[in-house]
Amino acid sequence: MLKKILITGLILSVNLCITAQETKTAVTSKQAKITDEINLSDADIEVFKEQTKQKVEEFQQYIVTLGNKDEPAEKRNMAEKEALKLFYKGAEMEISTVMPDGTVQKVNRPMEKYLARLKSLPYTKVIIKFYDIAYIREFTKGPDGKYYSTATIIQEFTGFSDDNIIYTDITKKEIEIIIDIVEDTFFHEKRWKIFLGDIKATETKAAVS
Amino acid sequence: MSTSLFRKKMIRILLLVFLISFISNSLLSQVLTDTQKEREEIFVARIKQFNEFADRFNLKTDFNGNIADSVFRAKMPRERMIPLLFDLKDPRIQMSGKEYSEAYTRTKEEFVEEVTKKNILLYKYSPGIIAEARSRVIYKGAPRQVRLFLGQEITGNNSVKWVILSAKGDILNIFKTDTSMVRFIPPSSNETDFINLKRALEDTDYLQYYASQDYKPDLLTLFFYYIKAGIIKYEYVEEVVYHIIDIPGWYIKVKEFNRNELNSGWLITDVMKNELDLPAFIRNL
Repeated sequence: MLKKILITGLILSVNLCITAQETKTAVTSKQAKITDEINLSDADIEVFKEQTKQKVEEFQQYIVTLGNKDEPAEKRNMAEKEALKLFYKGAEMEISTVMPDGTVQKVNRPMEKYLARLKSLPYTKVIIKFYDIAYIREFTKGPDGKYYSTATIIQEFTGFSDDNIIYTDITKKEIEIIIDIVEDTFFHEKRWKIFLGDIKATETKAAVS
Repeated sequence: MSTSLFRKKMIRILLLVFLISFISNSLLSQVLTDTQKEREEIFVARIKQFNEFADRFNLKTDFNGNIADSVFRAKMPRERMIPLLFDLKDPRIQMSGKEYSEAYTRTKEEFVEEVTKKNILLYKYSPGIIAEARSRVIYKGAPRQVRLFLGQEITGNNSVKWVILSAKGDILNIFKTDTSMVRFIPPSSNETDFINLKRALEDTDYLQYYASQDYKPDLLTLFFYYIKAGIIKYEYVEEVVYHIIDIPGWYIKVKEFNRNELNSGWLITDVMKNELDLPAFIRNL
């Protein structure tokens, strides 16, 4: 029995080690080789480009919901949870702020923290709007066999204290898009899936009154 | 997509083509006022990603990122599109300004003419596209800048990755120059088992003079060592600039202009003739 537990523990720790080595910029050679051998056709990629638009819209909708203080707490919590599911593990939000002297300062936050902060901003009311247009570049295959693209969207943010606007900005967001193979545990089959990755947010226009 | 929606989209693109085509440089920032619809028009016109810059340069896509059709190509041929990819606020092309440069304006026109007449396209994954990531690092507790140069490498199975080609920055210039003294290891040193080596290697600011005349310090290795040894801590990329020598005989520099105008996003900020090959060009950056 003890032997069994030890072996299970050993297997688990080996698995954990392998997982720990895999990052956004490094995957195990074995994993990369498996994914690299499967190619997407041009037609598949076109379909994924369409699906990317839907994923980005889905993310935008979750952002609008979780930022909206008029929505019930359960709905906002659910939006936060569902938004996170769209992202690749370890995705970060990088926010650039132009300082008065013209220099740019950047802050990186894990996506979980970014979404949690967005939910609890110190405004009585928040309105987040997105333009109904997005630019998505074509997908390019990476050495790990996954396909990469970037979508650009524009977000307008307005924060109110009672009925007064106290903060407003327009931010351009570049969202990394990754198509990766995932295993469907229910059907025991592998399929391609779209994930959102890191986001670079640049303020294009800000005004604080 | 329904026919009416498609028609609406086409009308919008054509209106934008009209607006961008007939706008004069000085009017660029004034024509559009600040309503959301107009800001959306700016977003459409803006060159949002470097990839979009390449597609517009090659006239592959329209302003919405769709494949450019014959109607769009007729309204916006390359000889009209490429001049719009330049920073139109560059003081060197403002005829009434003090910094106006006839030579630069002529070079720019010559570039556009050659590219369009010979139908030269920009290859997105060309080794002649070098991205310069101006990076903020912390060195001895203070922020400093290191310039990292990256290129694209096509690996097996047509996959692409960016690789670091070289590094530059004040903190990587570890040697000083001194022409007042001649530094060397004497010719007979070998007979004394190079006792002089200790003396030479204590001359720490000028070690390069004890190396071969062909010696060139490898700054990227030095940068990697600094990072590995914890001498510098990498923070983030402050700005990205592209240096492009993919077009034979020419060099163009592309950077992002983050302004609320039609002429914004990734734009050509410099153009000049270039005869250097890739390694020499990277050394000179």
